[in-house]
Amino acid sequence: MQDHILIEMMGVQKWYGGYQALRNVDLTVRRGEKIVLCGPSGSGKSTLIRCINRLEAIQQGSIVVNGHRLDDSIKAIDVVRQDVGMVFQSFNLFPHMTVLQNCTLAPIRARRISKTEAEATARKYLERVRIGDQAEKYPAQLSGGQQQRVAIARALCMQPKVMLFDEPTSALDPEMVKEVLDTMIGLANDGMTMICVTHEMGFACQVADRVIFMAEGQIIEEGAPDAFFRNPQHVRTRQFLGEILAHH
Amino acid sequence: MVPHFGLPEFGFLLRGLQWTVLLTLVAFAGGCTAGLAIALLRTCGHKGVEWITRIYIGIFQGTPLLLQLFVVYYGLALTGLKLDAFVAVAIGFTVNASAFLGEIWRGAIQAVPRGQTEAAMALGLHYSSRMRDIVLPQAIRISLPATIGYLVQLIKGTSLAAIVGFIELARAGQIVSNQTFQPLLVFGVVGAMYFVLCWPLSWWGSRMEARLALASQR
Repeated sequence: MQDHILIEMMGVQKWYGGYQALRNVDLTVRRGEKIVLCGPSGSGKSTLIRCINRLEAIQQGSIVVNGHRLDDSIKAIDVVRQDVGMVFQSFNLFPHMTVLQNCTLAPIRARRISKTEAEATARKYLERVRIGDQAEKYPAQLSGGQQQRVAIARALCMQPKVMLFDEPTSALDPEMVKEVLDTMIGLANDGMTMICVTHEMGFACQVADRVIFMAEGQIIEEGAPDAFFRNPQHVRTRQFLGEILAHH
Repeated sequence: MVPHFGLPEFGFLLRGLQWTVLLTLVAFAGGCTAGLAIALLRTCGHKGVEWITRIYIGIFQGTPLLLQLFVVYYGLALTGLKLDAFVAVAIGFTVNASAFLGEIWRGAIQAVPRGQTEAAMALGLHYSSRMRDIVLPQAIRISLPATIGYLVQLIKGTSLAAIVGFIELARAGQIVSNQTFQPLLVFGVVGAMYFVLCWPLSWWGSRMEARLALASQR
């Protein structure tokens, strides 16, 4: 039973000074599950996933990732970060390194595998995000969509157990959103556990096992996409869906 | 009989130039090493350590370099530590340079976008790798124009070493001028020597700045 659970957050509370960003959040993620997190800006959805790989510290509650309890020790943080990949809104590729170097740095430094092996793995994943022919280029020479696909490949090279996506398409020009979403859908179909903060509701319908709606640092409502979109229970959820779906 | 400015005098100035260059190189190398340590401590995230380095930088930026040289040369002599003039000024300039370079690089490290560090952390990279592989290579590029600018200031600033009796280029010029009574000619030559050292560096620095500005527009 426990084996099915990859991430367990219990009673998580987070403050920024006097401002409470997360209020008593409980979240359990099973292996292979795809979760879409949505909600208005400032609702704490980015903060929530940034707590999972300890880019943000929490003040109360517990987070367990792949059986390892995340505390303040460097060792625990290390172990968890090895299992958790992350893709950012602004790509955050390393501009002074080639695409290939971006993908091999962490495996070489953190996993201590050989350069040859790291490059073979990197080329495999770059191929998989259909960008294998750009391996020798620098990030600035690529389009936004290509950069984000490199960022996905870079995270995959560490062979994470779960991938976190923090608004991965929000900084992209509209014509590039699809190529990134397609890559994410491919990843989902391969069985990767994923938590995506996104407003791409088409994507949510297609791949999510569960959609979670957050507001003011709390999980307000969650459900399978079908029920969630067709029959939202909460007033806040209905308001929010009304606002974002009006644009589609 | 008063000697005229000739080859021997020119040779004397050249030897002064050598000392100026040597002093600059030693102070710059030492300043870079210590300055890097200062910059890293200044950005380490530990409040106490950050305060201590802030005070260190404040002291050496907030008092005249001349005073610092006096303290090293005469002050240390009072405690029984008699230093050779070159060693004394080299220490003085190194410490001073470490404060200025430390502050320049502190700014450059903080100018590297936060997302770079976050991406590196998310990939499981440790502090040493984050700094060595990600932050510093970018920070050094950002700081290059200011660093070169500081180097030019340092070259010219070494003339202060003359005060404690160290014969570098400016002091050599003064000596030759006193011997020959040809101050315009002598200091003209001295000025030209400084110019030949500094101008190419300044030019390189501003070219670098223009290139960086162009790169950041893209």
